[in-house]
This record gives sequence, structure tokens and C-alpha cells, in this order.
Amino acid sequence: MLRSALHKVGPIVNLPGRFSRYSCVKICQRNQSTDNRIEVFVNDQSVWVEPGTTVLQACEIAGIQIPRFCYHDRLSVAGNCRMCLVEIERSPKPQASCAMPVMKGMRIKPDSDVSKKAREGVMEFLLANHPLDCPICDQGGECDLQDQSMMYGSDRSRFLEHKRAVEDKNIGPLVKTIMTRCIQCTRCVRFADEIAGVSELGTTGRGNDMQIGTYVEKMFKSELSGNIIDICPVGALTSKPYAFTARPWETRKTESIDVMDAVGSNIIVSTRAGDVLRILPRLHEDINEEWISDKTRFACDGLKRQRLTQPMMRNREGKLAMCSWEDALPIVAEKMVNTKAEEMSAVVGGFADAETLTCLKDLLNRYDSEGLCTEELFITDGAGTDLRSNYLLNTSIAGIEEADLVLLVGTNPRFEAPLLNARIRKAWVHNELDVAAIGSKVDLTYSYQHLGDSTETLKQIADGSHPFCKRLSEASRPMVIVGSEVFKRDDATGIHAAVATIAQNARLRSQKGGQDDWKVLNVLHKVASQVAALDLGYKPGIDHIRKNPPKLLILLGADGGAVNKEDLPKDCFIVYIGTHGDHSAPFADVILPSAAYTEKTATFVNTEGRAQQSQTAVSPPGFAREDWKIIRALSEIMGSPLPYDDLDGVRARMSEFSPNLTKYDAVEDANYFNQAVQLARLAKPSLLNQPLQSSQLSLADFYMTDPITRASTTMSKCVRAANEDLPPDL
Amino acid sequence: MALHQACRLVRLGSQFTQRCLSTTPVNSNVKVHFPGSVGITIKKRHEEVLKESKKDQYETKTVDTDSQALQVQISSSENDASILTGVPEEHVVNRRVRVFRPAKNAMQSGNRNMKLWRIEFDTQERWENPTMGWGSNADPLSNLSMAMTFKTKEDAVSFVERQGWSCFIDEAKEKKMQPKSYAINFAWDKRTRRAMK
Repeated sequence: MLRSALHKVGPIVNLPGRFSRYSCVKICQRNQSTDNRIEVFVNDQSVWVEPGTTVLQACEIAGIQIPRFCYHDRLSVAGNCRMCLVEIERSPKPQASCAMPVMKGMRIKPDSDVSKKAREGVMEFLLANHPLDCPICDQGGECDLQDQSMMYGSDRSRFLEHKRAVEDKNIGPLVKTIMTRCIQCTRCVRFADEIAGVSELGTTGRGNDMQIGTYVEKMFKSELSGNIIDICPVGALTSKPYAFTARPWETRKTESIDVMDAVGSNIIVSTRAGDVLRILPRLHEDINEEWISDKTRFACDGLKRQRLTQPMMRNREGKLAMCSWEDALPIVAEKMVNTKAEEMSAVVGGFADAETLTCLKDLLNRYDSEGLCTEELFITDGAGTDLRSNYLLNTSIAGIEEADLVLLVGTNPRFEAPLLNARIRKAWVHNELDVAAIGSKVDLTYSYQHLGDSTETLKQIADGSHPFCKRLSEASRPMVIVGSEVFKRDDATGIHAAVATIAQNARLRSQKGGQDDWKVLNVLHKVASQVAALDLGYKPGIDHIRKNPPKLLILLGADGGAVNKEDLPKDCFIVYIGTHGDHSAPFADVILPSAAYTEKTATFVNTEGRAQQSQTAVSPPGFAREDWKIIRALSEIMGSPLPYDDLDGVRARMSEFSPNLTKYDAVEDANYFNQAVQLARLAKPSLLNQPLQSSQLSLADFYMTDPITRASTTMSKCVRAANEDLPPDL
Repeated sequence: MALHQACRLVRLGSQFTQRCLSTTPVNSNVKVHFPGSVGITIKKRHEEVLKESKKDQYETKTVDTDSQALQVQISSSENDASILTGVPEEHVVNRRVRVFRPAKNAMQSGNRNMKLWRIEFDTQERWENPTMGWGSNADPLSNLSMAMTFKTKEDAVSFVERQGWSCFIDEAKEKKMQPKSYAINFAWDKRTRRAMK
């Protein structure tokens, strides 16, 4: 019924056949010198807009928000809820403003009586079948239907029939469905189809019997599934782990940064009384748009389990026993003072922030130690980490939308960086981006040319003998993305050199011939700390420790499994600074509890090289302290306090190391690609005959990758659901 | 209560273990100082204010030579109203203020709340009140983000400076207007085509 109404709109709109979203953008770009904007009037106020703008957007530019349910900025236009009806002069009926393009001189009247009457009518129809369960609904307080019924709803009902009831669906351990509340806006269906690229949700039946669901009961298998909770304008899709936990007005919202991957998604942490209750996405057009991955959203329950809350030391029986800071720190200090510089090392894990990395580096450097390593690997030969362009995602995440060809090497971005993959998919859908991949053949949610997984292919593309080189040189804005997992291989230098050569050749042979500032080489990191650590001059990988067996080892949240007790000398004194009793804490001699990412104001640099600040949402549990403060306190007991005592001081020191670390939200261009390729050649790189493979192949591999997610019950439920395909008790 | 006892027990035990591990006798005078403790920062600030006031006198003098009586020179200490407000010193020197415009709630489509600037303080410890289970804290400034709004960023910053707090500005992330078209759903040669499900 609603669709047919929209089809009637068709002839009035008078759309030319080829008039599509992106052709209109191209027209705009071509005529940049001549202003081809058109004038429309919203409430008699003149607004100049680009041709192709919808009436709803024109009103938004004029500062008037049209009520909507089915329309979403990042989804395709459905035009089926009819809530955005507005009166337009000389049009016989109110029009759906979300689907209606503006025309010259159009007079839009969003606040007229006709518009209001239309919305009231639509609202009455929507509420006819909507249950009256707001008091027990999790969406209560942040529900679009609730908000808009306050404006346009009637105070009494004319509906005397029975309300429709729909059976709830089980679509996995993350999203709870109460389908009776559904108003069939189809936002979730469009999200699944267009953004997540998993066509598992759809509609069945028609009219009053229309239902949203998976048709047969199965899990909604997507790494972005939590976002359908956000976009659902009513309480039909709500968060299962957060069910009946809190009301939005009880919680405090802290705008922060995520560390579950190297993308650095912007998030809002909702807390109440010192508890992190949930995590929501925060808009950042250049990083995560409005989405976050399920790991970012649901792993926050891992922040409350397995936590280290008090310093611990090994007692005479060799067992770890709790102690106080006054007991633990002097012991560590004494050990450090009495250890030779070359026998002292530190390994940092994936969650370390730039402040702590700075303090730790200063502390060890003061005692002439250079044993600063990261757990995550990278190349050290050739230009190594000396040139920033060697280890950054140089094109930037938003840059993917300008690219026309992407080559993925040894990476599965869908699970290593879900938001980056969503961006590739966005460009694939809207900009006809072509994708090719060397590595494991996995489902990336878009079609791509699989070039095999052998290093031979990589070599052929690098020396120009592979047929794919033709496509690379034809592309005007090519991109090559290499995953950080390839650096675990023995021929990491060779692969990086080959990829850098491919990128450099593609840049020079592309249509602009390397004249513009388009960058081709991209490294996709997996952990949040890596870029900051490399910026600060940490050595990637633990080769240094293998060569110089340490007598004293500081593990700063190094739980990735790179360091094991067996690999270390028997008399090595291990100090663990971290949040969770996970991989490394059990074999440490002293454990110093520190703050997780929601518990500190700290700097994290994402894979693009963009520094961002996290904010303290709750204070660290028990006796845990912020990491950099622990190191500062330790330095004082050691008798040579670090020359800064507050956050501003640490940050001033940080920017002495690398100024980009405190230029928040800025991406500084890295360069010298040509020199990097030349230096790589000097290292005489070779390639091994092993296939390039990703460790994360299916959705079950996505959920548990670090101490926080390993401690999370929600994540373990997800793994089980993904493996067993929806056990009935979830 | 139980926690306190446990802590004390652990403390006793740990001193014992410390003696086992350490080569030197237990030093009971060890004081662990984590950065950000109130006393030290206040002392530091007093020194700074003293230095600043001396500088102001000097500056005022030089300016006075060529200025008229009408000209008012605002030095940082004159602009700082924190001496008069009666706000405890620990809530002036130690606090970091974030000047921001709230982000849109991802759960809702409304954007009214995003228009005005607000200020927010660094989060201090909160706990669940054992009597009613409500959230409690000891920070008198934590609710200011809900109580105060500013038309512009400059207004917010000047208010914050007048109160003697140090602040940083978090620029709001703007939404980009994306071209929208209903027709694109039916484009026969594009990936945006939507199958009729």
C-alpha cells in the first residue's frame, strides 16, 4: 500500500533515467567553476542546494529536522514509513521528503498544518499496532517512536481492534528481538544488505502480516551486527547483554576511543556508578562513520572479569600473593637499579597508550637500556621503521572512497579491521571500486578477484610480469593494503619490499604518474598501540630479547603470547604491568595492576597515524593505577624521578619524541616512498615459498583476540554461537 | 569490612614475602607517590601564582608608561575569579576541563542536543551507594556538564579560564551531507540496485 503511493510520486518527480546519486556528484565536480546550485524555499526561507538534494536534506540545511523512521543518512532511501511527509506548494498531496529531489523554486512547508496533519495520521497508523510496553522496553528514553509520538501522537486511540502480535526471533547472542514492536522501517534489512553485506535479514509476508526476520532461525552472522540495535528506531532490536540494565537518563556518557583494533573507532562509553554498562558508536566521518564492530561494542563486560585489582608478588612458596604498592614498587626499583643496562628489557602489548610508552622509554633510556620492544612484529631491515610511510595506512580510511582499485595482501580486513572493510564495501557499492586479493580466500562481503595465495604472484606483480599489473597501471587511484600478519613470517622483509615496489610502480604508472599526492602503500595494523610505539622508536618484535636474554623483563600488557616463560632465562625477574590475569601475568614475579582503556585519559594512534584521546569513563578498579603513573612512581623510588609529573608534562615530552602524537585528530602525511623502496632493495629481500594466510578465517575467529575479549562472557557466547550455529540456550 | 581485613592480612603477608625476596631489610618509610596528588600540585601552583604576580607587576609597569588611564590591562591573575568563588583549591588546580559539543546519540535521530557547547570535568571515582544502589561520587563539579550550556566555544573557554581551570577543546565531528536518491535503488547497471526481497 505504501509502496504504491510512492510509485505515484514518480511522474511528478520527473527523474531523468540516468540521474543517479553518483552521476550527480560527478556533474558537480565538473562544473565546479559555475555554481549550479538551485534555490528552494523552506518555510519561505531561501536555501541554495546542489541539484539532486532531497527535500528532507534541503530542510536539514535550513535547520529544520523532518521526523523520520525509515530514512537513515547512510542507508538507501526506502520511503516506506511516510513519517517525513511534507507539504510542497502546488503539489496535490503531501510528499515523502526523503525520496523527493528538490526542484527549482520549490516551496517546502515542513511546519504547515497539512504537514503536521499528515504526520499525525501516519503516527496513528504506526501506533495502532505498536504495543504499549514502553515501561518495560529497553529503548525507552532513547526511542524515536516515543520522541516523535510526543510531538505528533494523539492523546487517545481510535483503534478498537486487536493489536497485531509477532513471534520473537532468535538471531544470536547479541541482538534481542521483540518483533511485536517492529514498525517495518526495514532499516535493519538495508543495513544488513548494504553496510554489513550479509543478506540474512529480509521481510516475509505483506500488509499487516509483514515480518522482518531470517526466515529460518539462524544467527545474524556479521561482525557489525550490533549496529542494527542503534539504527532500529523502536525497541524491536535491542542489546541482549544490556537488556534491562539501565535507562539512558541514569547513565553518564563519556566520549572516548576504542582500542580493540587499530582503526581507533570513536565511541561513547555509558557508565553508572563506576560500571561500564555499554559502548555506543560516535560519529567520525573519517574513521568509523556511525558504526562500530561487535567486539568494540560488546567486549566491555570483559573489563569487569579477570581484572588485576591489587599489586602481587611471588612469595616464598613461589605463589603469587597480594601486596601493596609500597611493597611491590621498591622491590622492582631495587631490581632495576641492580640490573645491568643490557640485561634489562621491556615488551609492550597491544593496548599500551602513548603516554605510558613515553614514560617507559624514558625510564629505560635513563638506565642506558635500549631493550624496548613491541610484541607485534614489523620489519627491521631496509628502511624499517625509520620512515613513517613504511608502517602507516597512508591513503587513510576515508581515502578508500576515492580509490578505484584495491589490492589486499595477506590480510582479512573483515575481521582485522571491520570498519575498514565496511569502508571498502561502501566504495565497492557506490563507487564501483574493484578489489583484488592475495591471501586466504575468505568472504569479505563483496566480490573480489582472488589472485591466489602464493608469494610467486606477489613477485610477478612486483616485477611486472603478472597480468594484474595492467589493471594496476590502468587505475588512476590504486591502493595496496598489506596486513600486519605477514610480518610474522620469516620473509617479512621480502613481502614488505615486494608490496612497496608494487605500490611505487602503481603510483608512478597510474594516470597521474605520481605527480599528485595520492599514496598507494598501506599497512593495516591489528593492535591499537603499534603505530605510537613505532613512532616513539620501539623495536618491533622481540628479537632483541632473544639475542640478549634479560635478567629483568617488564611486560606492559604483553599478552599476545610472544613472550613465554620457557624462552626466558631461569633467573629472569618478570614485572607485569597490565589489566587482566591473562597470558603473561601468571608467570610474572611482580604484578602491577593498571587501567584499561576506559579508565584513563590517554593517547592512541590508529593505523592511519591519527592520534586520538581516550577519556576516563570510570576509575580503575581496586588499587589499580594509570599505567604512566605507575612508571612515574617507580622512577621516583628508583631515585631519579622522570622530569614530568602531570599529564600535560608527559604530553609535552611525547611531542618532543614525535610531534604528531599530540596533534589530536590530525593525520600527518608521511612520505619518502621512493627512498623506502631503494633502502629495501639494499636489504636484498627474498620470498619463501609458503602461502600467504590469514589466521582469522571465519566469524568465530573474530571475537576473542586479546585479554579483554578473552575475559568477556558475551564474546565467548558469540564464538559458541558462530561455531555451533545458534545453540538454543543463547 | 571484609575487604579491609583481607587487605590488612595481605599486607602482613607481603611484608614477610618482601623480606624473603629482598636483600635489604624492609624499608617502612617508602612512600609511593602517584602523580596528580592534590597537595603537591597545589604547592606547585602557589609557586606559579607567586611568579605570575611578580611578572604582572612588571608588565603593568611597562604598559603604564605609554597608556592612558582608560586602558585596562587584563592579566591572567586578574581574570582568574577562582580566588573569589570559594571553590576549594583542589577543585581548581587539579581539574582538566573538556570543552565540547555532545555527539549525537546513535540510538536516536534527533539532533537538538548537539547544538550548544558544554564543559565536562575529568571523571573521578564513582561508586554504588550501598543503601539504595544509586550512583554516588564526591565530585561537586561532575554535574556541571548537564547544568551549563554555552552558545559558542569562546564563551565556554572564557568561563573556564575565569574559573582558573585548565581546559582543552574537543572540536565537534561534523556530519557530511551525502547525496541521496530513490532512483538509485533501481539503477539496472549499478551495485546499489536492491533486489526486491
